[in-house]
Amino acid sequence: MHYANTYLEKPVVPDVKITGEGTTDVLKCMLNTGSDIYQGACKKRGSTLKEEYKNASGTCYMDPRDMAKLGVNNWDTVLVKTDFGEVVVNCAVSRDAPHEGTVFICKGPWANTIVSHDTYCCSDPTYKGIRCTVEKTDRKVLLMADLMRWVYKKYVDEEDDDVVENMDSLGELPVYHGRKWEELIDHDL
Amino acid sequence: MTYEPPVTDYDYIVENCTCAFCGCNCDDLDYLVKDNHVVAVRHACRLGASKIMEDMDQRLLVPMIRDENGELKEVDWDTALDKAAEYIANSIRPVFYGWSETSTECMKEGVALGEYIGAVLDNQATICHGPSLQAVQNAGYPIQTLGEVQNRADMIVYSGSNAMNSHPRHMARYAVFCRGYFRQRGRFDRTVVTMDPKFSDTAKCSDKWIGFEQNGDYGFYNAIRAVLRGKELYQDVISGIPKEDIYELAEEMKNAEFGVLFFGLGLTHTLSKQRNIDIAIKMVQDLNKYSKWGLTPMRGHFNVNGFNIFMAFECGFAFGVDYCRGYPRYMMGETNTIDLLVRKEPDCFMVIAADPGAHFPNGANQHLANIPVIQIDIHWGPSTELADVVLPGSFIAVECAGTSYRMDGVPIYMKKAIDKPEKKPVVMTNGLSVN
Ligand code: SF4
Repeated sequence: MHYANTYLEKPVVPDVKITGEGTTDVLKCMLNTGSDIYQGACKKRGSTLKEEYKNASGTCYMDPRDMAKLGVNNWDTVLVKTDFGEVVVNCAVSRDAPHEGTVFICKGPWANTIVSHDTYCCSDPTYKGIRCTVEKTDRKVLLMADLMRWVYKKYVDEEDDDVVENMDSLGELPVYHGRKWEELIDHDL
Repeated sequence: MTYEPPVTDYDYIVENCTCAFCGCNCDDLDYLVKDNHVVAVRHACRLGASKIMEDMDQRLLVPMIRDENGELKEVDWDTALDKAAEYIANSIRPVFYGWSETSTECMKEGVALGEYIGAVLDNQATICHGPSLQAVQNAGYPIQTLGEVQNRADMIVYSGSNAMNSHPRHMARYAVFCRGYFRQRGRFDRTVVTMDPKFSDTAKCSDKWIGFEQNGDYGFYNAIRAVLRGKELYQDVISGIPKEDIYELAEEMKNAEFGVLFFGLGLTHTLSKQRNIDIAIKMVQDLNKYSKWGLTPMRGHFNVNGFNIFMAFECGFAFGVDYCRGYPRYMMGETNTIDLLVRKEPDCFMVIAADPGAHFPNGANQHLANIPVIQIDIHWGPSTELADVVLPGSFIAVECAGTSYRMDGVPIYMKKAIDKPEKKPVVMTNGLSVN
């Protein structure tokens, strides 16, 4: 059966090639978070466990000049650190460039790890305008379920981040004991 | 992107459905249905279409609770509801958070339960337009409907909002490209200004982009207000914008016949928070000395406004309502979800049609790892990874009907198009259901 498809493995980003090794290891930036259309479409479809959500939400959009300073290319991984935490995300050339010195990560579990919870008594955490550092890394970006386990450790006893990070991945499908949707619904999709 | 051939293999079309995604509440969608499943959507944007043609892999269909090993296990409805009720009954500071992606009818049940057990009721406004609601209490609410914008507005200002990404049909259907009674030529009759530090997709299709610097919004609006009041600017550059540009913009805004300011999270999430909105509202009030101006917050979820209107009607406060003393109380920074979680106050957290796992900062979510979390939703999401009880709901505007409020406060009835994908109908009796 043919039905309209809204999946997109990765957001479409400008095809800019960065050459050279880069001039710095750690880049100081301003972090903004918010939504974009790829993240929104993937999240509300419900595909949050998938690779697609990881790429749509766990991506740091950077100015190509900043990427040249670090020597990273589209879909390399970077480590972003703030006073509130650190997270490994992909990096990609921003569609809204130029905005040298500012990086953008779509809202989602990845960005949450590093944004400020300060509300200054007006209910709203400070999601935008946070100082951060960006550096190149070899670590890989975790899938949503693995990331939630790594950050919140609600159902694992382990305190050590590295151990939790190296546990078997929870994968791209829900993990639970019980009937799956295929058994509950008859129509073939 | 690859070419998608049109979908021709469907049983029937359901016309004039309402999109349950963003605050535009587009009510002109057509669903193409085959075998009780929506296989394609006409007229919706990318966001609406992808939500309606949901991902069945992650659809929640059975109630689940955590077992001793911390794994979710399918149970029958009675067991799951008993467990949820037990958590709520044994708590002294329960928080019911969410509500923005469900119908107003469901909120009615929720507020009854919340009042009965003395819970805090809060919705997503607390992490998006909470400061706007606070500013509205400070400074007023010069609003107009989106119909007025379509028919009359000749100057549209987007500030801190990337409508092309978060409300994709807003420009097409209500504000910019559409033709209206007094704006027969559509886009050509309107001036569009985008104020955003980024050259966003909305800025790319505007006539003017004001790229003030990060956190410079407060200073910038004050400068416009000063100019509108006939003062002179002493600095040459304010918030990264040359003063000549500010004079020019103020002049243009004064001369508009009907202007509208749409503002988004770019204003509420930066450091000056509600003060930004205060000053934006006051700017609109100043502009009304010269011409007709209004403003509208770009509300994110389709019914986030509904909860605020409903709660304001029911108990006098728009969000963050605390019933622990038996009567409604509201205090910014005290009875709001993020502040409560950061202070580690709640001892039971119920999530109704929301996703704190995806939207709350780490510092707040850490507390969710310490306390029981009950989730009522339609998809497996980041919050499910923190949930102890999971109750599946049905998909509003597709599988069941209800009322929602558009960003401008217009209530819209969303109709039912298909049946819930279940072999056995599930009857919920305690008012916990997500419509
Ligand atoms: S603009 Fe908003 S309401 Fe309209 S179709 Fe798109 S997501 Fe749905």
